Amino acid sequence: MSKLSRRQLAIYAATQLLNGQPMKAVAQDLSAALVESGKQNEMELLISDVAWELENRGIVAQATITTATPISESLRHHLDKFIKQAAGVDNVVTKEQIDRSVLGGVRIETTSHLWDKTISRKLADIREVF
Amino acid sequence: MALLALQFAEAQNPEGIAALGLNLKGFLFQLTTFVLLLLVLKRWVFPRLVATLEKRREVLERSLVQARQTEEALQSAESKASELLRKARLQADAALEDAKKQTEAIISKAEAVAVERSERILKESESQLEQQSIKLREQLRNELAELVVLTTEKVIERKLDDKNDRALIESSLKEMAR
Repeated sequence: MSKLSRRQLAIYAATQLLNGQPMKAVAQDLSAALVESGKQNEMELLISDVAWELENRGIVAQATITTATPISESLRHHLDKFIKQAAGVDNVVTKEQIDRSVLGGVRIETTSHLWDKTISRKLADIREVF
Repeated sequence: MALLALQFAEAQNPEGIAALGLNLKGFLFQLTTFVLLLLVLKRWVFPRLVATLEKRREVLERSLVQARQTEEALQSAESKASELLRKARLQADAALEDAKKQTEAIISKAEAVAVERSERILKESESQLEQQSIKLREQLRNELAELVVLTTEKVIERKLDDKNDRALIESSLKEMAR
């Protein structure tokens, strides 16, 4: 077990979850593996790897939506629909964050995709051109 | 004896030469004296005198010859000296001419080098100025762009309300979905 890579652990976790294993049991397995290999500080990375694996398999995507102003319910719905379609997943778990520095528009980040249609990005592109 | 004879004749006969006023006795006496003197001079004085004069003449002649020779030698030396001087002058003139030509060549070469160097410096300066100009223009463009972007940010920050932001997000979604 100690010789398994993070990637292999992530694949294992995703497979177990898809097979209907309870989350708690899978989490315990992963914790034991990390402790045994002395890689407790790679916990966050492992979680990202598992999320990536799940998204890659089209199961679920974990998305962070950044806007300058709070979004309405209908807009949230449209965003979820877009993410499912664009990422090719059946489910989406969204996390919203407000950041005035983006000025306007929206930025959507998943583990394997990024869509940045904020005004700050466009201004940065203009700056690049100059 | 003749003298006596004469004296006697005169005493006896005052006619003839005495009638002319001439003293024959005296004359003959003087003549004899003269002849004797002449003989004495010829015998003892003239040869020595002539010898002395001859010696002096020879000395003078030798001196003259030497003087002539000296003068000739002097003339020869003078002509040689003037010839040497002429040659030296010619050599000096030639050396001067050569030095002058070399100086002119050095000066013209130095001038050419200076001209080339100044042209090179000028070109380098022009190139540097060009580069600086380009750099400044770029800097100005960057600063202008930065200013435009900052101004845009400020304007959008103030002007973009929730409604417009929602419309922007929806429009972006439509664009991404295409």
